[in-house]
Amino acid sequence: MLTIKNLHASVDGKEILRGIDMTVNPGEVHAIMGPNGAGKSTLSNVLAGRDGYEITQGEVIYKGENLLELEPEERAQRGVFLAFQYPVEIPGVSNVYLLKSALNAVRKYQGLEEVDAMDFLTLVREKMKLVKMNEEFLHRNVNEGFSGGEKKRNEILQMAILEPALAILDETDSGLDIDALRIVSEGVNALRAEDRSIVMITHYQRLLDHIVPDFVHVLSEGRIVKSGDKELAKELEKSGYSWIHDAPEGETA
Amino acid sequence: MKQLTDITTPFSDIAVDNTIPGQELDWLKTLREQARAQFQRHGLPSKKVEDWKYTSLWALSQETFTHEAQASQLNETRCSEVALLESAYRLVIVDGQFNAELSRIDDLEAGLTLLPLSQALSMSEAVLNQQIDIEKPGLNALNTMLMNEGAYIQVKAGSNITKPIELLVINTGETEKLATHLRHVIDLAKDADLTIVEHYASLNDESVGLTDVISEVNLADNARLNHFKLQHESLSHYHIATLAGKQASTSTWHTNNISLGAKLARNDIHSQLLGEQAHVTMDGMYLVTGKQHVDNHTRIDHAVPNTTSEEIYKGVLDGDSHAVFNGKVIVHKDAQKTDANQSNRNLLLSRTCEIDTKPEMEIYADDVKCGHGSTVGQLDEQQIFFLRSRGLDETSARSLLTYAFAVEVLQRIADLPIRQALSNVIETRLPRGV
Repeated sequence: MLTIKNLHASVDGKEILRGIDMTVNPGEVHAIMGPNGAGKSTLSNVLAGRDGYEITQGEVIYKGENLLELEPEERAQRGVFLAFQYPVEIPGVSNVYLLKSALNAVRKYQGLEEVDAMDFLTLVREKMKLVKMNEEFLHRNVNEGFSGGEKKRNEILQMAILEPALAILDETDSGLDIDALRIVSEGVNALRAEDRSIVMITHYQRLLDHIVPDFVHVLSEGRIVKSGDKELAKELEKSGYSWIHDAPEGETA
Repeated sequence: MKQLTDITTPFSDIAVDNTIPGQELDWLKTLREQARAQFQRHGLPSKKVEDWKYTSLWALSQETFTHEAQASQLNETRCSEVALLESAYRLVIVDGQFNAELSRIDDLEAGLTLLPLSQALSMSEAVLNQQIDIEKPGLNALNTMLMNEGAYIQVKAGSNITKPIELLVINTGETEKLATHLRHVIDLAKDADLTIVEHYASLNDESVGLTDVISEVNLADNARLNHFKLQHESLSHYHIATLAGKQASTSTWHTNNISLGAKLARNDIHSQLLGEQAHVTMDGMYLVTGKQHVDNHTRIDHAVPNTTSEEIYKGVLDGDSHAVFNGKVIVHKDAQKTDANQSNRNLLLSRTCEIDTKPEMEIYADDVKCGHGSTVGQLDEQQIFFLRSRGLDETSARSLLTYAFAVEVLQRIADLPIRQALSNVIETRLPRGV
C-alpha cells in the first residue's frame, strides 16, 4: 500500500524529517507517536501534499506510484485521505455540498458517474450514523461554528463517504472529550477493512485504547527510533518520551 | 485643458419635445424644464466632485447616443429565457420601450397597481420625484428631464402581495448606442407588503448603450418591501442608477444590489429612516473582471430615535477591474438608540485589480450602537488545500471559495426561489470549475 523510503523533508531550509522508513500493508493500522516537534505533522502534511515542504531525499510509493509527484487532489482521487488536526471552516459552503463535490471528484477519477441527489442522501444518512451526526449538520456550513468534537466527527464522516484506501489521521484525538473520543473512535473502527490502511498520528496513548493499532512507531527528531506492537504504546504511557534520546538509532521492527 | 463640465455632453442637444410622455401635465412640464436648466448648467460631474472622485464619466461623455430605438424583434420565448423568475408579475421594457405583449401585468392581486410609467404619469404627481434632488451631481437632472418609461407600482393599505414583481429591462443591442432613461416609482401604503426584482440584462455581450435609471421608494407605516436588483448588462454598457427611499415608522426595507455587468456601473442608494422602529437592510454584491468599473455609493440617514440598519457589501475583483465602495451612515442628533452596522468586504483575485473602499459613519447622537469596517483579502490557502485534499482540483476549489465568499450576501434573502435564481446567475459569472 504505502512504502516510505529514507524520506527527508525541510521547511524553510530546516530539516524536519531526517530519514523516515516505513511500510504499511493493506488492512494494517499503524500509530505514529512522538513528542512535540518530532515531525509528526510534517509527515502527514508531506503525505497529503501540502505546500511549503521541500523533499530533499527519499521517496514515497503508494500503490506503485510516486506519491510525491502527485497534486493533493490527485492523491485524494487515488484514495489517500488526510483527517486534519485543525479542520478549516468554510463559510458559505454547506457540508452536504462539500461531501457531494468530493465524492463526485473521486468518482470521476474512477470513471464512475456522478451520484444523483437521492442516492447521495441515502448514502450520507447511512454514513452519518457512524459518527452519530444528525441531518442538521448537512446543511450547516463546513465546520463553521462546530465544536472541536463536531469538527473531528465531520472529518471522519468525510472519510466514510470517500472510502479511502489509505487514511492518515493527524492528531484526531486532540481537543476531544472522552465521549467525543469514543464516537470518533467507533467511527474509525467501523471503517477498518482488509483493503484499507490507517496511519494514526498522535501524541497520546489514549486514542490507541480505542483504536487498537497493529504497529506502533516512535518518531523523534525526524526519525523513527523504535517500532513495535501496541505494547510499545503502553510503555510510552508509563515512561514518557524522555528515554528515546538514549535509544540506539534506527532500531526498527 | 477643458473641464468635463464644459464639454458638450452627448445629451445636450436633445430637445424635450412633445413626443415625451406627460407634456400635457403642467407640473411635470415645469419639473422637466427645471431639470433641463440644471443639467445645462452643470452637465456631467467631473472627478473634482467628491462623490465622483474615483469614477470618471469621461468615456461616457465621448459617446454619441441615440434615443430612437428600432422596433425590437424580441419574442416571448427569448424573453422568458432572460427573465429571472417564472412565477411573477412581469413588466418588460425592451430598449427603453414598454412591451405590452411580453409583460404579464393584467391579472393582478387586489390592492396592487402595476403600470408602465408612461401610462401612469397623470396619477403620479404626489409621488414622482419626491426622493430625488436634481441638483445632486450625477444624472438625476438628466433623468428627470428625459425619463420616458419605467414602472409605476402602488400597493394599497394592508395588501400583502404574494407574487413578486419582476421589472425586466432588456437591451437587445439592435440599436447601436441607445440611451434609455427610466424611472420607477414604488409606493407602499400602510401595512402593505411587496417583493420586487429589478432586472437589467443585455442580449448582446458587446452592445454599447446607456441605462440611466432612478427608482423611488416610499414606505408608509409598517410597510414591508423586499427589493432586489440584478444588473448583468453587456460589458460595454454604461449603467447609472439611483435608488432612493424614505421609510415611515416600523417599515422594513430589504434591498440587495447585485452588480455583475456593464463596463461602468454606478449605483447611488439612499434610505431615510424617518419613523421610529423603521429598519433597512441594504446589501450588495459586485463581481467584476477585465476592465469593468463598479461604484456603489450608499447612504442611510437615521433621522429619528430607535431605527436600525444593516449593510453588507461584498466584492469579488479579478483582472484589471476597479471597484469603489462609499457607504455613509448618518445618525442625526435626535436619533438615540440607533443600531447600525455596516461592512464592506472584498476578495481580490488578481494583482492588477483595484478597490477604493470608504465606510463612513457620522454620529451626532450619543446613545447609539454602531459598527462599521472594511476588509480586503485574498483566498485562504488553507481552505484551498483542504478542498484539494478532498479531491477537488485547484480551479474548482478556488471557484467554490469565491462563490462561498460572495454568496453570504444572498443568505440574508428569505425568499428561496429568488435566492436560488440569483445564485444561479452568479454561478455563471465565476471562474469555471465547479
